Amino acid sequence: MNNSEQALDFSTVIASTVHDMKNSLAMVMQAHSQWLARLPDPQQHTPEQGVIEFEFAHLNGMLVQLLGLYKLGVNQMPLQPAYHELDDFIEAQLACHQDVFASRGIIATYEVDPLSPLGFFDRELIASVLGNSINNAIRYARHAVLISVSDEAGQLVLTVNDDGEGYPPEMIERQADYVQGINHSSGSTGLGLYFAARIASLHQRNGVGGRTEISNGGPLGGGVFSLYLP
Amino acid sequence: MLSYHQKRFLIVDDFSDFRSSVRSMLRELGVKDVDTADTGEQALRMCSQKAYDFILQDFHLGDGKKNGQQVLEDLMIEKLISHEAVFVMVTAETSQAMVLSALEHEPDAYLTKPFNRSGLAQRLERLEQRKTLLKPILQALDRGKPVEVLNACIALCKQDIRYSPLCLRYRADALRDLNQNEALERLYDSIIADRPLPWAFAGLGKLLFKRGQVAQAKGVYEKALKVFPMMPALYDGMAEVLVAEGDTKAAQRVLEEAIRLSPLAVRRQALLGKLAMANEDFDTASKAYRQAVAQGAQSRFKDAESNLGLAHALISKGSEKGLDTRTRLEINTTLSAVAKENPSDPGLQIRARLMKATSLLLNDAETAEKLTEQAMMRLDGMEQFMSAEAALLVAKQLQMLGQASAGASMLKNCAEIYGDDPTVMKGIAKLTDDPTILNSGNAAADLNRQGVRVYKTGNLVEARQVFRKALSLQPKNISIALNMAQSLLHGTDTSVPSAELEECRTCLKMVGLMPDTDARFSRYQKLRSKAFGE
Repeated sequence: MNNSEQALDFSTVIASTVHDMKNSLAMVMQAHSQWLARLPDPQQHTPEQGVIEFEFAHLNGMLVQLLGLYKLGVNQMPLQPAYHELDDFIEAQLACHQDVFASRGIIATYEVDPLSPLGFFDRELIASVLGNSINNAIRYARHAVLISVSDEAGQLVLTVNDDGEGYPPEMIERQADYVQGINHSSGSTGLGLYFAARIASLHQRNGVGGRTEISNGGPLGGGVFSLYLP
Repeated sequence: MLSYHQKRFLIVDDFSDFRSSVRSMLRELGVKDVDTADTGEQALRMCSQKAYDFILQDFHLGDGKKNGQQVLEDLMIEKLISHEAVFVMVTAETSQAMVLSALEHEPDAYLTKPFNRSGLAQRLERLEQRKTLLKPILQALDRGKPVEVLNACIALCKQDIRYSPLCLRYRADALRDLNQNEALERLYDSIIADRPLPWAFAGLGKLLFKRGQVAQAKGVYEKALKVFPMMPALYDGMAEVLVAEGDTKAAQRVLEEAIRLSPLAVRRQALLGKLAMANEDFDTASKAYRQAVAQGAQSRFKDAESNLGLAHALISKGSEKGLDTRTRLEINTTLSAVAKENPSDPGLQIRARLMKATSLLLNDAETAEKLTEQAMMRLDGMEQFMSAEAALLVAKQLQMLGQASAGASMLKNCAEIYGDDPTVMKGIAKLTDDPTILNSGNAAADLNRQGVRVYKTGNLVEARQVFRKALSLQPKNISIALNMAQSLLHGTDTSVPSAELEECRTCLKMVGLMPDTDARFSRYQKLRSKAFGE
């Protein structure tokens, strides 16, 4: 009889719902910031404000990631690489989180190797990966987050460092499982790693694909998320 | 310090909440001059009256409205914004908007909603810096001087070699405008060998195709589509190659793929309609033309050919019993629009009437006859040449409507104007067996070929004689007339009156009746500006 009803594809339903949720959230965030601007100064900077800002960014990041995963699944992830000025790119990602940094008292800084001011990648996709990673770093950081950009044997390396406790050892040991999508049990971080690795591997040059790595230590002594782009 | 505070801003968004929110962000950042618009049309009007430095353009301005990409295209093509101005596309979902964007008109930046004040401030500051860095290049672009663009690129790279990747696109476009094909090919090759960029693939494919290296162009597109399967412009190029190879079925499939990725594209839909008609896939043709007509309403690429194509596809789809009421209504609406919107174009007036008459042939013979009569009256007084394609369809419809002799004279005319083109002659052969029409151009075509050979030897006097003889046989033939004009201009001083110049001008006046869609139109324009010193 009517096959189109039976053929209703659940993942497509979710994707279009997520799309609407994202738009809704954007409206809420916008209304919230307008409302906030009308409040007297002391009330603009309450601890609750920090929570709201952080969770807004977190929610938005998750929705973007979910849409991204759907597109990866149906093979609709367009790679649109171009040359980008790295200091501009990093600054833009930090600026999105500026309010959260301020409310949490976190100092965010970045370092870009002056010898390689341009990177070659898909700005949107790498921004979503970096956004999630910054969000994650904020969650665990005590006072500081550092993003550094360097060049390692011709590969662009973006790292997000924090001064928190670092990743649990078993997560670092088994990062390959997350990347392969075998173990999603540790919730959003695991899914985030999977997403990041997929996006990284879309970036290819002469047969070499991009990759991700998590470790502990780094200049701030906490968690270190690294993204290698060929 | 660089500053955007003194700059003129325009915010274009259909949501008043969003406009006021961005406006207040800008105010907080110290910007004083902020205007807003809620539609693309309004934005275009405002840009024609005031030179904005920053335009924040929402991508989706509501169904049935111009979208941000169309606004950008209009602004660029009509030169309503300087290259120094910053155009930011604001989107809910940027990757989608990027797929829909055209490679030739990209915004300076995308900004994804939602964004906060610091995010906006950061983007504006950086874009301002980038424009300042590239200023000499951008100013040369505004002046339309590709040589100066190239020099500015060299100067910038000398100043700081690290920024040379930012110049690649400007260099390639300038080389293209200067027709420096070898240098351009080397540049594209080097870009692709280092870091494949979609526009470099598209540019290389186009360049090879233009030089007639169809097989090589195909290879480039095949490689490009493996790397960038989501880039509609690459499918367009591939379809063009396949058409040139005569494989219209494959071309249609490739174009359908591009439309699946990016359905909002008037010209692509119109081209799909045309290919599907050639493949006798009337369902696809009518759908594509219907889209082209609907989307064309807001677009600068609106084209009456799509309306005629839609009607033609619907008629061809119809059964032997005629057309149902709904189809007749759609045909009527789409053709009325052509007649109403092009009052001074005799060709379109005639074609719209004949098309409608054809659609009524089975259901309303009386009206069909009346429309045919009107069309034939206009046809008598028409000087301009129709395109070969249009002329053939008119001839065919005249035959169907019982006007055999009018059809035959149309074919004869067509053979005279386009007879040197074997594809057109093949089309004519499908509609008539009359040897006087089918062979009418042979002698002139032979002479034309002979004239070209003589011209190449440098014997101008003899070449002119041969062309003159050819033209006397077929006075309206575009190719012969252009060759005649060119041979007359060759070595003739156009600043002093002479018999050659006079003859050349007469020749060009006649050939000026050709449709501006003809591939030879730009050659005509060049000869014309030489001969008339314009």
